Amino acid sequence: MTQDVEMKEVPAPAPSNSVTAATPSTLQHLKEIASLIESGAYAREVRRILRAVRLTIALRTKLNASVVNAFLNFSLVPGSEVHSRLASYLPKEDEQDMEVDTATSATTALAKHSLPELEIYCYLLVLIFLIDQKKYSEAKACSSASIARVKNLNRRTVEALASRLYFYYSLSYELTGDLAEIRGNLLALHRIATLRHDELGQETLLNLLLRNYLHYNLYDQAEKLRSKAPRFEAHSNQQFCRYLFYLGKIRTIQLEYTDAKESLLQAARKAPVAALGFRVQCNKWAVIVRLLLGEIPERTVFMQKGMEKALRPYFELTNAVRIGDLELFRTVADKFSSTFTADRTHNLIVRLRHNVIRTGLRNISISYSRISLVDVAKKLRLDSANPVADAESIVSKAIRDGAIDATIDHANGWMVSKETGDIYSTNEPQIAFNSRIAFCLNMHNEAVRALRFPANSHKDKESAEKRRERQQQEQELAKHIAEEDDDEF
Amino acid sequence: MDPKLSEVSQMCELFKAALVRNDFEKCETLLSQLKVLLTAFRSLPPLFEATLNAVHELTVARDIYEHAVILSVKTEDQDAFERDFFQLKPYYTDAGDRLPQSQQEFPILGLNLLRLLVQNRIAEFHTELELLSASALENPCIKHAVELEQSFMEGAYNRVLTARQTVPHETYVYFMDLLAKTVRDEIAGCSEKAYDSLSINDARQILLFSSDQELSGYINEEHPEWEIKNGYVIFQKAKESAPCKEIPSLQLITQTLSYARELERIV
Repeated sequence: MTQDVEMKEVPAPAPSNSVTAATPSTLQHLKEIASLIESGAYAREVRRILRAVRLTIALRTKLNASVVNAFLNFSLVPGSEVHSRLASYLPKEDEQDMEVDTATSATTALAKHSLPELEIYCYLLVLIFLIDQKKYSEAKACSSASIARVKNLNRRTVEALASRLYFYYSLSYELTGDLAEIRGNLLALHRIATLRHDELGQETLLNLLLRNYLHYNLYDQAEKLRSKAPRFEAHSNQQFCRYLFYLGKIRTIQLEYTDAKESLLQAARKAPVAALGFRVQCNKWAVIVRLLLGEIPERTVFMQKGMEKALRPYFELTNAVRIGDLELFRTVADKFSSTFTADRTHNLIVRLRHNVIRTGLRNISISYSRISLVDVAKKLRLDSANPVADAESIVSKAIRDGAIDATIDHANGWMVSKETGDIYSTNEPQIAFNSRIAFCLNMHNEAVRALRFPANSHKDKESAEKRRERQQQEQELAKHIAEEDDDEF
Repeated sequence: MDPKLSEVSQMCELFKAALVRNDFEKCETLLSQLKVLLTAFRSLPPLFEATLNAVHELTVARDIYEHAVILSVKTEDQDAFERDFFQLKPYYTDAGDRLPQSQQEFPILGLNLLRLLVQNRIAEFHTELELLSASALENPCIKHAVELEQSFMEGAYNRVLTARQTVPHETYVYFMDLLAKTVRDEIAGCSEKAYDSLSINDARQILLFSSDQELSGYINEEHPEWEIKNGYVIFQKAKESAPCKEIPSLQLITQTLSYARELERIV
């Protein structure tokens, strides 16, 4: 019925702009989403709400002021406080569109139940629209108002929408650079979410808080929050990926490189393919962590689709570390220092200097059976007052740490490398195999756990005859097996 | 001016004078009195109320804590240092925009970094480093600490010990001495793996002792397994682990059992 009315209205204002002709389809979608939310709210099915949110995100690019206004008129009682507040955020439009809208809303005067879910959804829609239009200060005001509203509601179905609201709330403040202001609010919201057992909200808010702390480099506080916050099975893949990324960052700064590598690589793997920016960031940090651990990432990591340009500085850095050349490392670090500072990886790059020296030493030790320390100092290109003494201490530390296998002859001032024995006679292969086997088995277990059976509603109902047939077959099979058993005896 | 504030300022002056004189007991008593008086001010952390004299009060309080930190270095009390430093930190971070920059800020930050390095809390060292802005990193006091950490990590210990000569601030001397001791232990550990034997002269040079007696005293205390023969220090090389014919059976058993269990689960 709604459709007929719309079709009649559209040809009437003939000289109207083509925008009006395009809006019905988007508006139609929005109305469908609204009805989906309504049905979900009544049936208390959270999944429908989530689906509604997903559909909205798909429509994001097609939104414009008139559509949003029309939708507001449709879903909220016009003249109500909420409606006027939300409408005030949107820019005013010209007369003709208003006519169409009022006409449609007048004709579709169905009973408008002012559902809280619908209200929150309208807030969400307006917020998304404002952010896309880059009207950040209005977005800030809108989001603060919506948060105040959400605090009073306590329904499962609202929570799904609320978690998206929190995200945009934090985003609007971040884009205006006022992230520190909302920290108290986010903490309060997290408390409320925990009290209400709102796990999706808790997850989202924890990630937002971590992001807040990491934005200001407060790694210590972020870690304290993360270790104390309650944790549970991830509800949303995206939130889980974000959590892993933040965890990886914290662990890197705290020098726990193995844990960091695991988290970062997992985050990069689990992230959806469309999230290119996120994966680029994960990969950047993962590359650095691997370099700090002493392993060189393969070239394919840098050649992934769409990431080549962004990862170029890191590629050159890896090259410098691989060769073990301090000079090259220094030039690369200086050349791309602005990129590194923007990525906040600058301090980590400084830590890499030590790795460069180690790699250089290892190369020297493998290539020479005996080499004088003066030559070692020259090759490593250590720029210091007393290179030979430096080189000597560095070599002795490397020997102690097990990076190279050699001895120093102080009297003659040279380094003698030891013969490396056959590695297969040690336990190394066993350990390497074990880690791979454990990984595969882990993967298998996770896959089994993630198995889902097809939903019942999608299965075609068996017709009566088919069922009879199937039962007949089963009976025959049972008889057959019984006979077989008899035969065996 | 507020009577309480003037009282505190006067006591602060007395405190500073006592510190210069190195009269530690008087300092301690004055400090505890000052701390009690400071609790009366509402403009200090954690309340941060904007009272009339807020700026003045904050400056005075910050002054007091800075001198408390210096006091703890002079009395060689590391726990007191940590406590006072934590109380001082909010003045730099949160109240930083309200107050003019303190002269002592960078030296004290550098001191803290050095302390973390000496106590081998490298993770916290790096976390603190992240909080510093780029301009802070250019400051000589902080640069000194950062370069020290780098040299320490790389193993260029002689650089560490020469850095002792170039301290930017006299309060650093205490920590540098502690660091020297740690470095010496590290050098000894590295040397025993790296060298087969060293002449006594070389050993003395590397370990930075000024006389042979100190060297032999050190060896007897810390490393009794080293032998001194014919003017050479022989490091224990006998425990050159022969290629271990022993199989780590327990580990292999646990691994194989876990494989069996997991494979059994595969339907």
